[in-house]
Amino acid sequence: MAPNKGSSKGPSVGGAKGAKSSLSSASRVSKSSKKDGPKRPPPKEQKSKPRTVQENLKKKKKRVYTEKELDLPELNQITPVGVVKPKGKKKGKTFVDDQEGMMTILAMVNAEKEGQIESKMMKARQLEEIREAKKAEAEARMKERKNKLENVKDSLRKEKKGKGGDKPEATIKDKVFKPKAKKSVAFA
Amino acid sequence: MLIGKTSSELRDFNSAQYLPTPSSRLLTMRSLTEEETRTLFTKLAHYTGKSLNALVTPDEDGRLSVFRLQGSRVYYVDKELANLSTSIPRDQLLSMGTQVGKFTKTGKFRLNLTCLDLIAAHARYKIYIKSNGVMPFLYGSNVLRAHLSKYSEDMPEHAGCVVVDENDVPLGFGVTSRSSQEAKKLEGTGVVVFRQADTGEYLREEDTLFTT
Repeated sequence: MAPNKGSSKGPSVGGAKGAKSSLSSASRVSKSSKKDGPKRPPPKEQKSKPRTVQENLKKKKKRVYTEKELDLPELNQITPVGVVKPKGKKKGKTFVDDQEGMMTILAMVNAEKEGQIESKMMKARQLEEIREAKKAEAEARMKERKNKLENVKDSLRKEKKGKGGDKPEATIKDKVFKPKAKKSVAFA
Repeated sequence: MLIGKTSSELRDFNSAQYLPTPSSRLLTMRSLTEEETRTLFTKLAHYTGKSLNALVTPDEDGRLSVFRLQGSRVYYVDKELANLSTSIPRDQLLSMGTQVGKFTKTGKFRLNLTCLDLIAAHARYKIYIKSNGVMPFLYGSNVLRAHLSKYSEDMPEHAGCVVVDENDVPLGFGVTSRSSQEAKKLEGTGVVVFRQADTGEYLREEDTLFTT
């Protein structure tokens, strides 16, 4: 405030103080006059909106509900029930560098593998048994069929042998009948 | 971009290229996690029996070998060597010890041919092939019934097995197509073992066998 007063009165009035003040004031003036400096937009009046404006009223109405308050069923959340990570547990990878850890993992893997192979072998054996049984059954059927066929053949052969003497007569009879048939054809 | 920088700043800028890039930072040489160990052992146990324990126990000299992961590849290395290897920048370390295989991006494990020596010593099932079947196998074809010399009796189908020649020299590994009982009834041209890896790959896949 003082330097401004001094400047208004003029440099001749004051002593050392006045001179100082005038200098400072002059420099200020010159600064402002010489360099425009960064232009700033004229200050705007900030109008505070009355509380009755709708926006303000709306904001007040908003209320954040905690999860407990909402009382949602557990499944209806962003994180599934099983995936909740325990708090306070260390992040990152857990390395297995000690021999015991390796051995336990290896033992588990081995046991699993053994079980798999065992079940595979069991299954293969069972399938093999079933296959064998089916094969035996099929063979038995084939034998039965063959036997039947042989029996029929044998019976036919026996019949042939048995009727061996009668056959020529039958042929003669046929010869006798045939002309009749021809006649009938001619007649028709 | 470099305009207006002092010489010291330029030097700094140049030295920045020696810093690990984000991609090389992923190539951390480390021991396996629990899950990784389980997948690795499951795969190994597919081909080996219970004697796989010998891989993780110290040998007679008291030397212990460990599994180490570099990038996606898994190596079986002497522990002392693994500890010494920390002095080599990770992004410049290509390979060390015996490469066992690699983890795929889906988290499965693929055995590499280089692990054949590890597997062969502890193999659960071995399939011996005749001398006339060795060359076809080494050229990458499956093992046929006609080439079989002997095989273990109680072999189920789809089991991992090591293929060896008549002098017990391991040639590769594969998966059985049929159980040993069914294989007996198979005709000569029937496939008994589906090939997974064979030593012929050292020549055929020479360029890509050790690429990371």
